[in-house]
Amino acid sequence: MDVSQDHAFGVSVKNMSKHFGDFVALDAVDMHIPAGTFHALLGENGAGKSTLVKCMMGFYHKNVGSIHIDGAEQHITGPHDAHELGLGMVYQHFTLVPSMTVLENLVMNHPHIPPVINWDQERHKLEIFLGTVPFKVPLDKRTSELSAGEKQKTEILKQLYLNCRFLILDEPTSVLTPQEADEILGLIRDMANHNQLTVLMITHKFREVLAFADAVTILRRGKNVGTFSVRDLTAEEMGHMMIGAEPIRELGSRKKLTGGDIRLELRDLQINNDSGERAIKAVNLSLRGGEIVGIAGVSGNGQIELVEGLAGQRPIDGGEIFVHGTPYRGTRAEIRNHRVACLPEEPLKNACVASMSVAENLAFRHFDIWPFCQGEKWLKRSEFTRHAAERIKTYGIKTRSPAMRMSELSGGNIQRTVLARELGEPADVLITANPVFGLDFAAVADIHAQIMEARNHGTAVLLVSEDLDELLELSDRVIVISDGAFVHETSRQDADLSVIGQRMAGH
Amino acid sequence: MGDTDIGYWVVPLAVFAGAIRVSTPFLLVSLGECLTEKSGRINLGLEGTLMIGAMSAYGVSYLTGSPWLGVGIAAMAGMMMGFLHGIICSLPRVNDTAVGIALMLFGTGLAFYFGKPFIGPQAPALPSIEFGWWSDIGQIKSALSINVLFIFGLVMAFVISWGFKSTRWGMIIRVVGDSEDAARAMGFNPNFVRTVTTAAGGALAGMGGSFLSLFYPGVWHEGLSSGQGIVAVVLVIFARWNPLGCLYASLLFGGAGALGPALQSVGFSGGYHLLNVAPYFLTLVIMILTSSSKQRLSGAPGELSVNR
Amino acid sequence: MDYFTDKLSAALVPILALLVSAVLFGIFVAFAGVSPFETYALIYKGAFGTWFSWQNSLQRAAPLLLTALCTALPAQMGLVIIGGEGALVIGGLASVSTALVLQSFLPPVAVQITMLLAGTIAGAIWIGGIGALRHKRGVNEIISSLLLVYIAIAILNTLVEGIMRDPGQPQKSSTHPVADTVMFGNLPGMDVHWGLLIGVMFCIATFVLMYLTPFGFSARIVGGNPRAARMLGLPVGKLVIIICAVGGGAAGLAGAIEVAAVHGRANSALIAGYGFTGILVAFMARQNPLAIIPVALLFGGIEASGGLVQRRLDLPNAAVEVLKGIIFVVVLAFETFSGRLGFLKRRKP
Repeated sequence: MDVSQDHAFGVSVKNMSKHFGDFVALDAVDMHIPAGTFHALLGENGAGKSTLVKCMMGFYHKNVGSIHIDGAEQHITGPHDAHELGLGMVYQHFTLVPSMTVLENLVMNHPHIPPVINWDQERHKLEIFLGTVPFKVPLDKRTSELSAGEKQKTEILKQLYLNCRFLILDEPTSVLTPQEADEILGLIRDMANHNQLTVLMITHKFREVLAFADAVTILRRGKNVGTFSVRDLTAEEMGHMMIGAEPIRELGSRKKLTGGDIRLELRDLQINNDSGERAIKAVNLSLRGGEIVGIAGVSGNGQIELVEGLAGQRPIDGGEIFVHGTPYRGTRAEIRNHRVACLPEEPLKNACVASMSVAENLAFRHFDIWPFCQGEKWLKRSEFTRHAAERIKTYGIKTRSPAMRMSELSGGNIQRTVLARELGEPADVLITANPVFGLDFAAVADIHAQIMEARNHGTAVLLVSEDLDELLELSDRVIVISDGAFVHETSRQDADLSVIGQRMAGH
Repeated sequence: MGDTDIGYWVVPLAVFAGAIRVSTPFLLVSLGECLTEKSGRINLGLEGTLMIGAMSAYGVSYLTGSPWLGVGIAAMAGMMMGFLHGIICSLPRVNDTAVGIALMLFGTGLAFYFGKPFIGPQAPALPSIEFGWWSDIGQIKSALSINVLFIFGLVMAFVISWGFKSTRWGMIIRVVGDSEDAARAMGFNPNFVRTVTTAAGGALAGMGGSFLSLFYPGVWHEGLSSGQGIVAVVLVIFARWNPLGCLYASLLFGGAGALGPALQSVGFSGGYHLLNVAPYFLTLVIMILTSSSKQRLSGAPGELSVNR
Repeated sequence: MDYFTDKLSAALVPILALLVSAVLFGIFVAFAGVSPFETYALIYKGAFGTWFSWQNSLQRAAPLLLTALCTALPAQMGLVIIGGEGALVIGGLASVSTALVLQSFLPPVAVQITMLLAGTIAGAIWIGGIGALRHKRGVNEIISSLLLVYIAIAILNTLVEGIMRDPGQPQKSSTHPVADTVMFGNLPGMDVHWGLLIGVMFCIATFVLMYLTPFGFSARIVGGNPRAARMLGLPVGKLVIIICAVGGGAAGLAGAIEVAAVHGRANSALIAGYGFTGILVAFMARQNPLAIIPVALLFGGIEASGGLVQRRLDLPNAAVEVLKGIIFVVVLAFETFSGRLGFLKRRKP
């Protein structure tokens, strides 16, 4: 194979299957991607998208099937082979070395690094290369200081610098603003148009499929549902094909509620991040019962610090939090008296103890009072089990027994367990961040419906999310956070996606 | 010789000479640890490695009459200990700090076991280079009599510092230490790199041990290194994972450690034991002053578990 | 069902590790020209072969029960404390000091109780302080606890060679002895002092505290995931410091018992390595206070057999240290087969 080719090539996958033990992750999938096209790969979590591309890249060894490049069958036994053939992949999570500059990252990514590196010479080579591609990044900035968009560009540059002509992108826009996403996908689209690149993009955003892709392949439970030209499809049709006939819980109707009392109030709240820099800069907010306020923003603009501050996981460095008009510090008594619930992102990391049982995790809110403990001295195990059995049933948590370790549950069931604990009884205030991250459609719909139900029963909900679709679906008001400040506020009716996007980007 | 000529100047001079002498093992061990930690692992077992290095160097020097062969064997023994740490920690779910603690006890035990016959006999010591040939004053002559291992450590500090910036291997170590995901995506094997750096770090620590038994204090006994290996681990943090910083920090600690003997030489004998733990005390104070419960340490390799 | 299979597999891994260690140690002594099987037989004989060796093993297990708690309890909170030796030394010093002051005018029983209390409190402050530094300033507890061992030893040496020195003991610097009436006797019917019973009771009590009370439950939440604990409004810092203090108190109590039941004075005999062996006991017991009881007995036996092995096989007495080192390394390497050292996993915020 000619490594130094400078034009795009087509790739076909024929009859690809992959098993993990008894589990069939990929079942005889065929897919053809012509040279110079932009191809989308759609599917739910667990539909086999990642498995398919990892088989193509040689990370997994397929059980059956073949890969063809420009019609000729190729044997890819590892990522190295794939790179040699000109296949490259940009992962969902950034794989940049944070303490190194863009220049260092690009050089270190190259397979042939000289024993002693002449940085001037490497910089010169890179500058010549950068002249041939449309992406611009600051070479001497540490990657930890780059914006998400710049990081993503650097990731793509890493592949192009390796002379990759078939680029696989795994959810490349999940942490970008709509503007950044459009810019990057647009540039890639242009390269495909000029036959410099063939693109395969894993995504769940229909908007991007419709705007940039030529064709789309839809996977469901490891099978290819079909490959379609984008012109022939609507978003609804794609959605139906992705989820099949599975029943999806309807989002309950939004009850009209007005004039709820103020439940949560932030006054000039300031919170520092891990490096001691101010991450939340004197923000103010009033949240009433029966409303959902969504906080929109590109990740890394203070959302994590805000939620951690509200959840009591991070000290407050200025200002105050009030719940029901009284200062709130997140002690156990306050959480109980004010009925504050919290659904953080990554629940296993933030809200559970992985090494303890499901029953114990379910009891975390009330283990220290009757009936979980007698006379505040001895734990009553039977009550733990009884309580857990009841919640497991009500919330449909799939577990072999209440004694199973939390770490053995699936992501959806972990989130359900936390939901059962936090919303199992009425709450006055709910603080939640990216509550459906990484879950499949049915679980997403279920959790969204529960949040809406809580709102309709009068709970004040603060929803911090990086997913604009989720925010616009659930929120009564949307507030945009940028660089630690609330920079824009709009009601649900007046929300304008392009304005929100611009404010997210800090314009 | 004009012993009396310089009066109390003997104290700063002795501190200077002592700083270089006492700092040499700190320097070698902390450079070794720096190498290991830069790749994202921590080896707390260097205390044991130091003892093994000291014992094997002394034993070999005594049996063969060649202290340099002793240094070589000490480096080899240290490398084996580091390699052991490296491969055990490459097993999934094995914790590097805990294995380090275990190897600290294991290494000390091994050194005591094999070192038993060498307690007592005198082994040939390492020679040093006389930088004080120009002077007639005895104290200056002895203060400027500097051991080759210190010069080796000095050179290594600069070599490693340059290596981290400008060589393929140095860059790979930093990549692996900073982001395992990135390292895997670039096709480096983190466990392999870490095992190599831990073995190399062990070799340096073993040499540090040989300095203890073959030069200063220049004997082998079971209390030879009480805690110097662990102080060196803290020095790396204090030096913010910078090899040149390790050099300066080692000199500072060497000076603190030399204070006790220096004062003793002019007649202050009170609190001898307390002065001897001055470096540990200083270490603790520095840790308390430089740590923070709110912030991560700047400059720490991202994959380092001790940096919480 | 899950509970028992869990416990079974938890016990199986260390037992396998112990067998592998025995094989490795056998190979090690074979290089010294000694028969491995003879060595195993002698270790067994020296540890549990006769009533005499049983008593010797039990006697040595007593401080291990307590120093192991000094590692195991903080480990339940996610802290790795390896400074039990320091707390033991300080506890011993504190108890001998109180005894020397009080024994002239208080009845012996009162002196005994204050000795134990003084040792416990001193150890609690020693290790509790480490927990506080960790919580308030983020000082790494592994390193600070180890540094404090050397500092504790220096304090001991300074005192026994200085103001507390008994001039009647020229060959080994020591404090004055406590009165014979104050010394602890033996358990009825055996040549083992009361410290054994105190140690066992302490292990059982801390097990009850950690697993059957809401206080212990909150402590285990903190240990399992401090972020979740904060979200639940638990007082993380207070819990960390209290549990560290309880662990340190155990090690300090061990020092007090060594003084009151074995040595009768404080000197370098206190630095017998019980603190370090306790780390190994705690890890092998998987930081469970109840499991510490049999594991401490096992290592008490290994320590007790050291003398016999040394005399009969002409091995250096450090052979026991080597054996313990091998066991420690193998036990940790075997974690790869279970991966259940949950408290060690969350090392990043």
